Amino acid sequence: MTVMPDVYEQTESQVVQEKSWRLIVWNDPVNLMSYVSYVFRSYFGFTREKAEHLMMCVHQDGHCVVRSGSKEKIESDVHAMHGFGLQATMTQEV
Amino acid sequence: MATGFRYTARGIAGSLPSAERALLGKLFGDVIELLTGRQEVHALDDEVDPLYALTGMRPSDAQLPVPSDPAVHRLLPDASQDPELAAEFRRLTEADLLSEKLGRLREGQLLLESEKVHFVDTAQATRFAQALNDVRLVLATRLEIEDEADAERIGQVLDAAEVQTQEDYLALVYNLVSWLQDSLMSALLNEQA
Repeated sequence: MTVMPDVYEQTESQVVQEKSWRLIVWNDPVNLMSYVSYVFRSYFGFTREKAEHLMMCVHQDGHCVVRSGSKEKIESDVHAMHGFGLQATMTQEV
Repeated sequence: MATGFRYTARGIAGSLPSAERALLGKLFGDVIELLTGRQEVHALDDEVDPLYALTGMRPSDAQLPVPSDPAVHRLLPDASQDPELAAEFRRLTEADLLSEKLGRLREGQLLLESEKVHFVDTAQATRFAQALNDVRLVLATRLEIEDEADAERIGQVLDAAEVQTQEDYLALVYNLVSWLQDSLMSALLNEQA
């Protein structure tokens, strides 16, 4: 019979607070308002009101921060937006 | 004139005249050609470890150039205003985006072969809307629609009898695709309501 050595977990770890990333959607004269609104509802699961509000924000202000989160999450959002043909970029919060 | 897409008890469907289906099929084909042309840029040198080709990844020193054709660039845009971040994103994800877009366009082409375009579910209708939107983006780039004023000017070309130039014809086609897209959006939004 043998005993496995105890493994001590490293309990002290340095938590580096990574600044979150933002998903920005840009206005363009081609994408239909109904389409942008539908994309916001179906992809993000936003309510009709929130989707319309964000769509108008993009339309009127030229661009809008649609959501923020970890780098991985925002990267996959940007990829999805490009799949829908929306102009989307990512930027890290300052 | 077609009736566009409608939300019915059996899902979203649209009956399009055969001339329109043929035109759309041709437009989908044009975008497929543009994107497969871009795929050639993705080929890696023979000296590169074949493992890369197997995994579909690109070595960090094999950046992809920004597409030189503005229409292709519009379909595969920059992911960041920071050029370094945009290049890295392109290297890691463009191949996936390309094949996703191609898949949707090819599926759309197949759907257009039947007289009545009937979507099996919302997801399929959404994929068709995405493919249709890619067609609109390419047409808009060719028509040089850069601001709302351009869009409005192009939007006024609605009468086939008045078409005189190649641009007029392209504008007419663009407006037809936009109208179809909008009817599909109404159908999808009705379904969600």
